[in-house]
Amino acid sequence: MNITQILFWFLSALTVFSALMVVVSKNPVYSVLWLIFTFFCISGHYIMLNAQFLFIVNIIVYAGAIMVLFLFVIMLMNLNQSSEPKKHRWLRMAGVVAGGCLLLVLVAALKNIDIKKQVAETNTGDIGLIGNLGKVLFNQYVVPFEISSILFLSAMVGTVVIGKKE
Amino acid sequence: MNALLLTAVFGVIMMLSSFLLTSKTAIRGLAVSGMVIVLAANVLEMMGIVFFKIDTKDMIAFDRFSLLFNSIVFISTLVYFLLSARDMEKVGINYGEYFALIFFVLCGVTLSSSFHSLLILFLGIEIISIPLYILTGSDKRNLKSNEASLKYFLLGAFSTGLMLMGIALIYGATGTFSTNGITTSPTSALVIAGMLLLMFSMAFKVSAAPFHFWTPDVYDGAPTVFTSFMATIVKVAAFIAFMRLFNDEFGSLQSRWQLLIALITAITLFIGNITAVFQQSVKRMLAYSSISQAGFMMMAIFAMNADAREGLLLYSAAYCLATIGIFAVLMKLKDYSFDGFNAFAKQQPLLAATTTIFLLSLAGIPLTAGFLSKFWMIKAVAGTGKYLWLVIFAVLMAVVSVYYYFRVIQAMYFKEGDGQTIEASLPFKWTLVLLAGIIVLLGVFPNWIIYWLYF
Repeated sequence: MNITQILFWFLSALTVFSALMVVVSKNPVYSVLWLIFTFFCISGHYIMLNAQFLFIVNIIVYAGAIMVLFLFVIMLMNLNQSSEPKKHRWLRMAGVVAGGCLLLVLVAALKNIDIKKQVAETNTGDIGLIGNLGKVLFNQYVVPFEISSILFLSAMVGTVVIGKKE
Repeated sequence: MNALLLTAVFGVIMMLSSFLLTSKTAIRGLAVSGMVIVLAANVLEMMGIVFFKIDTKDMIAFDRFSLLFNSIVFISTLVYFLLSARDMEKVGINYGEYFALIFFVLCGVTLSSSFHSLLILFLGIEIISIPLYILTGSDKRNLKSNEASLKYFLLGAFSTGLMLMGIALIYGATGTFSTNGITTSPTSALVIAGMLLLMFSMAFKVSAAPFHFWTPDVYDGAPTVFTSFMATIVKVAAFIAFMRLFNDEFGSLQSRWQLLIALITAITLFIGNITAVFQQSVKRMLAYSSISQAGFMMMAIFAMNADAREGLLLYSAAYCLATIGIFAVLMKLKDYSFDGFNAFAKQQPLLAATTTIFLLSLAGIPLTAGFLSKFWMIKAVAGTGKYLWLVIFAVLMAVVSVYYYFRVIQAMYFKEGDGQTIEASLPFKWTLVLLAGIIVLLGVFPNWIIYWLYF
């Protein structure tokens, strides 16, 4: 077991643990903080895949912008432990059963695939570097890239429609 | 490709028109002429004249099926603009932006009817969904509209998450986004899990049971003029995407998903029809009716043969045109309950007659387009030679649907009442008559549509 593998397992364990804490925490603010921690762990994985650009973007966009939005919403709504609505016991049971079934299916799906052939390119991969990413984005995927501008434009028009004072 | 670019361009033009043009008539005229241009460009592309040659790296494939479907959608939208554009003025002050959002939705419709890559499918579905969340909540002072918008947004975002998860799993298994079909054998469990997630998210988008819970609330809460758009054009677009996905990508796995789709179809038919019987408001009844019509369209996904493809196109035309017509009349009324239609025939004999034709078409009475499209669906399922119980069940449910459609006709013709006074201009009336004429003609000559699929 070399240093990369040790790092990988350590980061993975940390990611799973913090992701679980997001769900388990009673206080919504703690949940958000754990979520930020999860994003940092995932960014660490990007570094190990030699994808520095994705690492930076993940930190700026997810851990930065989106999480600030989350915190704002939680503060505006003044959520805390006492205001959490009590759910019916049967409803909770149904949720556990449904989620458990999905977990079972996904674990079964992941158990059978042949992972040995598709080892992650730790250290050697270079697709996540900004130059290569740009080449792929503007050659192979230029059409979806341009089309996504329509998506953002429509979202912006929508924001104006909703936000403008009448 | 013509339509894809032109709809996006007209979206931008309409967006700019809202501050460049002051008169609402001018904005409306611009939108209608834009729609005519888009339709004409699409028909030209069907004849082989393409304005823009763009290398899409095989991510978008405009074939006869998708081009014909786009034409049907553009004709429906044109009719919708002619009938209902005036009613959008009442919703709020952002008149130009509403048209811009509708053009963006149409851009998403062209994408989701012609994708050849899961990436484009995702973009298409999202470009359809995001403007719709806005349009649902555009009546800002109405609490019900706000609630509907938020509900639609949260559930829609969740189902989009499911779709992305499915796409990720399929990418993990096949290593490609393009929908050339699953060829690996034995099929990996990742593909099956991804397929199920995609199936559930698409079922949500077409409001098939048991993923239909958002439909009645959202359709009821949204401004009626936008409900008309959502329940028709957007719904059939999601169906075409559903069909393309399961035909191109998962066609080889048909034996695996057929039973599940059959069950979803049966549950959708049952819940849609039985719940519609108990509704007191016509608008809510139409929401449940759209669920039950979705059940019939699901039969095309189930069968997935040549009949199913022809049938789905015919069904899109019949369902869109009839539902747009009914909503256009409903918008003129103040009282949306069944009693609101009392003695409507004495007040407005012409409108009542056309509404009757639309309702007969939705119920599937012979000599209307609705009958033939239902016939095509049942023929497609019978053609597979399996699951004959589904055919019998669908016919039974079609009989149930007659009850609630005829309740409106009965109220219009046989009930006494004050009758609401409504203003209907002469062009509005003539457009409705033309629409009813198209529905009857399609019911007699369905080949007018199906011909285009092959020649």
